[in-house]
Order: sequence, then C-alpha cells, then structure tokens
Amino acid sequence: MQNERISSVLKSVSKPGRYIGAEYNAIIKNKDEVKCRFAFCFPDTYEIGMSNLGVRILYDVINKDKDVWCERVYAPWTDMKEKMEQYSIPLTAVESGDPLSAFDMVAFSLQYEMCYTTTLAMLKLAGFPIWAKDRGEDTPIIIGGGPCVYNPEPVAEFFDLINIGEGEEVLLEICHLYNKMKDEGSYSRTAFLREASHIEGVYIPSLYDVSYNADGTIKEFAPKYPDVPAKIKKRIVADMDEAPYPEKLVMPYIETVHDRIVLEIYRGCIRGCRFCQAGMVYRPIREKSVETLCKQAKCLYDNTGYDEISLISLSISDYSELPSLTDSLLEWTDEKHVSLSLPSLRIDSFSEELMKKVSSVRTGGITFAPEAGTQRLRDVINKNVTEEDLMRSVGIAFRGGKSNVKLYFMNGLPTETLEDIEGIAALSKKVVDAYFALPKPERPKGLGVTISVSCFVPKPFTPFQWEKQDTFDELIKKQEHLRACITDRRIKYTYHDAKVSFVEAVLARGDRRLAPAIARLAEEGRMFDAWDEYFDYDAWIEAFSATGVDPTFYTSRGFGLDEILPWDIIDIGVTKAFLRRERDKAYNGETTPSCAEKCSGCGANKLGGKNRWCK
Amino acid sequence: MVQVNQTKLFLRFKFKKIGNLQYISHLDLVRTMHKIIVRAGLPLWYTEGFNPKPKMIFAAPLSIGTESVCEFMDIRLNEYMDPEEAMSRLNANMTAEMQVSEAYYPETKFTDLAWLSYTITVNTTGASPALAEQCNAALNADKVEILKKTKSGEAIVDIRPLIRTADAVFTDGNIRISCVLSADPSSFLNPEYIIKALREKCGILSSNDLTSESYSIMRNSAHLADMSEFK
Repeated sequence: MQNERISSVLKSVSKPGRYIGAEYNAIIKNKDEVKCRFAFCFPDTYEIGMSNLGVRILYDVINKDKDVWCERVYAPWTDMKEKMEQYSIPLTAVESGDPLSAFDMVAFSLQYEMCYTTTLAMLKLAGFPIWAKDRGEDTPIIIGGGPCVYNPEPVAEFFDLINIGEGEEVLLEICHLYNKMKDEGSYSRTAFLREASHIEGVYIPSLYDVSYNADGTIKEFAPKYPDVPAKIKKRIVADMDEAPYPEKLVMPYIETVHDRIVLEIYRGCIRGCRFCQAGMVYRPIREKSVETLCKQAKCLYDNTGYDEISLISLSISDYSELPSLTDSLLEWTDEKHVSLSLPSLRIDSFSEELMKKVSSVRTGGITFAPEAGTQRLRDVINKNVTEEDLMRSVGIAFRGGKSNVKLYFMNGLPTETLEDIEGIAALSKKVVDAYFALPKPERPKGLGVTISVSCFVPKPFTPFQWEKQDTFDELIKKQEHLRACITDRRIKYTYHDAKVSFVEAVLARGDRRLAPAIARLAEEGRMFDAWDEYFDYDAWIEAFSATGVDPTFYTSRGFGLDEILPWDIIDIGVTKAFLRRERDKAYNGETTPSCAEKCSGCGANKLGGKNRWCK
Repeated sequence: MVQVNQTKLFLRFKFKKIGNLQYISHLDLVRTMHKIIVRAGLPLWYTEGFNPKPKMIFAAPLSIGTESVCEFMDIRLNEYMDPEEAMSRLNANMTAEMQVSEAYYPETKFTDLAWLSYTITVNTTGASPALAEQCNAALNADKVEILKKTKSGEAIVDIRPLIRTADAVFTDGNIRISCVLSADPSSFLNPEYIIKALREKCGILSSNDLTSESYSIMRNSAHLADMSEFK
C-alpha cells in the first residue's frame, strides 16, 4: 500500500521498484488492532537492506506478536530524497505507506559505521529531531542496534534506546513494556526509558554522564541513578535450535544484493583472529542441529522459490556437522535445481569433496583469506593457516575448474613490516606458479588471481583494540610498495581507500565527542558515505575540525592499556583480561588454538547458551 | 484433454500487472515469475546440461510505468497439468496486483500478436474539450513526427503508420486517449511515444510540478492482424 504522494514522483526517479513495497510475504496487519507500531529502518538502499539477515529475522520475530506490527523502512536514493524534500514528502514505511510519525518505535540496524550519516538523514526526512534530548512525547522512541553499537558512543546521543546484542528477545520485551505502561497509563517518555534501562541488553544513553581527563581520555562513565546499570550486558539467544527463524521471506521484485535463501548455521566463531570483531562479539559459539537446518532450508525453499541457498556463518567449514548437513541438503536440492553456496571457506579445511558439493555454484571463482603475507604475521593475528594450506587449496580449486582465485589481505596490521608486504606479492606469485605447475589438460582456462587488500582498522572488543592505526601516509606507502612488488601481470591488485578506513576507524573507536561532527554532516544533507560516490573525505575532516575533534586521537594515537575505553560500558562476555592476554601473545608471535581444540577462557561462557564447546 | 506427444508442451497464462507493479522491469518480472512458478509447484521443464534453465517466454514486454491487464507468458512444462489448477496455484502465490485471468494450451504464437490497445489518461493543466480535440487532430494527422533516440543519435521518425486508431476525449477533468498501436516486434510502438508526441505538439504535461500533473497508461487488450482477439 504505497503512499499516494510517493506514487506521484515514482516516474521521475531511478529504480522506482525500490519504493513500492507490495511484496509477496510482506506482513500486513490492521493498524487499529495493534498496540505498538514498530518501524525497522535500514540506513541504506532497499537492495542492501532487503539482503540483511538480521533484519529478516527480527521482522519475523516482532511480527509473530499479534500486538505489534513491524514494518520496513529503507533510505531513499539521493534522487528520491531530493524529490521528497522538494514536495515535502515524509519518509514512509514500505508496508502501510504511513509516515514514521505514525509509529511508536523506530529502530535502526547499524551494520557499518559509514551508515551513520544516512541514519541521521532518515531521521531528518521523517521530521524527527536528530538529538535524543530534543525529542518530545510526540516523537517515536528511536532505537539503535546491530554490530556497530558494540561501541555505541559516537552515535549514543542520537538514540533514545540502544539494543546491545542479539535482538530476538529484547525487542519484544521493549514493546511489551511499552504496551504495559500505555495500558496502565503510566507511560511517559522518561518513565519508559528509565524502566527500560532495567531490561538486560538495553542501554539508555541519556541516563549516563561521561567526563574526560585533561589529556582527552575518558575519566568516568557514570549512571545518573543508582538503579541504572553501570555496565550493559550483551543479550544472546541461548538455544539456536529453539530460536525463531523465518519460515517465509519477503520476496523483493527487484534484484537485491543477496537475492537467495540465507541459512544461518551457527553464531559465534571458534577461531580467535585477533583483528576480527565479529569473532569476539558473537561469542559464545552456538550451533544449530542438522535437523533444524534441514527443516528450515526446505521450509524456506517451499515458501520462496529461490534457486540458491547460501550457508552463512563466520567460518562455515568450522561447523561440526558440515558433511552431514551438505549431504542432507543435496538429497533434494540438485533435483530441484537449487544450488548451495558457501561464502566463507577457510584455507585449512577446503577439500575436493566440499568443492564438489558446491560446484553447482555457477561462478568460476573462489575466494580465500590468508589476511597476511608471511607466517610470522599470520601468527601475530592468529589466523592459523599456512602457505601449504593455501597452495593445497588453490591446487584443488584449479583442478576443480575454478580459474579465478581471489585472495584477501590486510595492510597496516600490528607489527607489519615491508617484508610482510613483500610476502603478499610473493604468495600471490606462488598461486600463479601453482596454476602453471599443473599439467595443461588439468588446468582450467583463463587464470585470474586477484588480491584485494583492505586497511586494518583496530576494532573495539578485539585483542588489537588498543593498537594504533597506521597513518594515512604509512598506508599509502605500503600500498605503493605492494604495487611495486607485483610484477606478474596476471595478478590483479585492488585495495581499499585508506581515507575511508581512516574515517571508519575514528567512528568505530570514537566517543560521544564525535556526535556533533556526524550531526553537522547530516545537517549539510550528506548521506550514503558507504558509497564511494558520496563519501567525501574533506567534508569529514572539515566537520571534525569545526567541532573541535582531532581524529588522530582515535587512530594513530593508539589507546593506553589502562585507559577507560569508550566501549568499556558494554559487557560482551569476552573479558578485557582475555583480550589483553591475546594482545601479549600477538606480540610474542604465539598462536591460540580454536575453541574446538582447547578452551582459552575468553569469558563468553558466562553468558550461557547451548553449545558443544564451552564448559 | 490435450494430446501429450513428443512435442513441446507449453502452457499460456494471461495475467495482469497493475498498480505498484507497473514499476517492476521486465527482467525483474521474469525472475519473479520463476520463483512464483517454483512456489506453485508447477512441473516446469528445464534445459539439460550443466546449467539447467527453465523456458519462460513473454509476449511484448511492458516498459516501466505501464500497467496491463493482458500480459501473456508461455512456460514449458515437462508433463501435462490442468490449466485451471495451474492458474489457481499461481494466483495463490502472487499478490493482488498480479493475477492470472486465463490459462490454456495455446494455438497461436506470440509472433501472431499484431496490435495492442491502450488507454492513456493524462491529468494535465489546461485539460479541456478543446485540448482533447487538438490531441485528436495531432494523432490523426497524415504524419505524427517525433524525435526518437536511435542507435546513431536522434532522428525524426513518423510513428503514424504504427498507430492503427487513436481517439482523445475530455472526461473527468482529464484527457483520455484510447489507441491501438503496433505490437509487431520489428515495429513495436511504446505508448510513451504518444505522450511524447502530445507533449511536443499540444503542450501537455508542461508543468515541472510532478504532484499537479500526471499520466497513466493501461494496456487493455491484444489483437491479431485482423483485430480479432489474440489468444
């Protein structure tokens, strides 16, 4: 049901199919029969937002409650935004076409830091004040969640409420509290937020005072009232077999980024790569059983008609029942012309058998992530893969007909030297050599080796959270050095824009003092910083400078080991002591075994959760 | 009962695509239809080989912004299925804005389709019986020349031979044009060109305010060369 005023401009914008809604499996309720209207916003385009698994899960979970109607909202592309501003068309929800002002809750899923300006742009299009403190009783409760809010501080003051951790249970608890207080007549914005602060996994930024030392570091993070928790404990779903998973998916008409069935195999990760935030914040590992997964896959196939099932988790080959799962799925998928895809394969567990099972995937390419060019540096980051693993894997891939190999690396990792950079070039060359070492009939035609190199961002809640980020000049120097080292023209070299990684690091590691800079950019009408064509480095630098922020304070300075970190208010289960131990081991070049081999005492087990590894 | 020989078994559906779905491109429609057919459990035939593909053919693809109550799709089946059953299963798997109205084993080919009739409703400033008459005259003149984008830049093209009939009237405050346009693949006339011609010749839709002026196009029926109904 589209908003009439949006319809009037649809013929004049690109990809109008983004704005029409009306999809099969979209959930329509009678708005007069629900107590709480919940707008789930994704601060990026429809095509990207529709692909997000978290949104799909939570849309389903919230709508299972008959008293709540959850609808979806996406960011309009810039041409549509212009039209909306020109004709005073407010931001609306896809299902009802109603403006966001008609909602009780408006939640944003923050998946990457570069979506912050888009989030504020959406608040502005909805006609809401962007600062939480400026909102009155007539504005919906604005909620933030998603992986970015493990350090919520840079955007904390834009949200009334922040959901820390998995949202399956907590979002409904928030709605229930809201409904109860409305029913009882005890609701006011402040009373509700105060009460909500007692729900585990809920962070109410306005209930805390932050003070700073003369050197700019954080002095104290203090709750304003004794009943407000000093630390916010992350919420998790205890039992993944019991956790709700969508049986239907909203079917987009236009092609989305991940236009397929996405089957979540497990949460968490048994590895402990020291740069990886996801590997820490999603602990403890919780697997679904093969039985549950097969049921979910078949059900989703019947209800969607998709011809591809993607098995998703942080490292799919670490799933303890992978052979049994793929065999069970293949019992019916081949016959139904459904292909399986495994997006995250580790070099050390890649096998011919596995590749054959997913060979129905139509691309001729395969991606591996050695992350660093030398064994020394791979040990520092605890990647726990070797050159032999890579050579064995690419050999299997080539013999199996895959002629395009993509390798992921990172520049700027702690302790990195030019020798490690040279190692990236050398390793890529060995992949080319491995191809030509195969007898001609055995190798597929058209070799392509692509190396994609990102810039290291020291993320919160990793053993590298205290590390400094390389300066822009250092990163450029390393990128140039690598370019010079690559002499084989069959190797294609791509790298991330160091300017983006710099801003990303500031936003990932920042505190509340960054908010005015983000607000300023949004006031200037900026959005879509996650898109190359709209990211403007100079605008960010200017915004930092105009609001008195030295961005390098958060990047090349590094954080002191005894310093209060902006994200110390959050308890992710994994302890700071464990992260510190891992950091020390990194500097000694010592590796840490996976959870499957030996428990390293990270602390996440205290969150509970049904799994086979944690004691 | 249709005789199932060794011949290819194609089932034809006539369906509508209206409202919001006018903004779905042809390519997206094809992808969407495939999933609908799979959900409906129709016995879709697939090509042999490494990369099996179904066979789905559409008559006269619609452009974005045109609604239709007479779209046609042929799908190849690997076994006979009762058309009524196929239709009801498809409809259960589609939204209200896209529904099948007829299903049958066809006797014609899509190449037999010669003419398509449209209703174009124009909500323009200056709409009046006089403007309607002007539009009528413009579309029924000896030549209807427009500037058309071609592979090699722009060219003046006379679309009059592709217009079988066109009749503009003033009704409910709008200009309404009923027209029958060529559907022949080699000389297909997109109804958007009628709008373009009237913009150029009669000055319709000249305001820059999108909320005060608008137009809609509805494809109503399909015809053979002799104007009998295409089935």
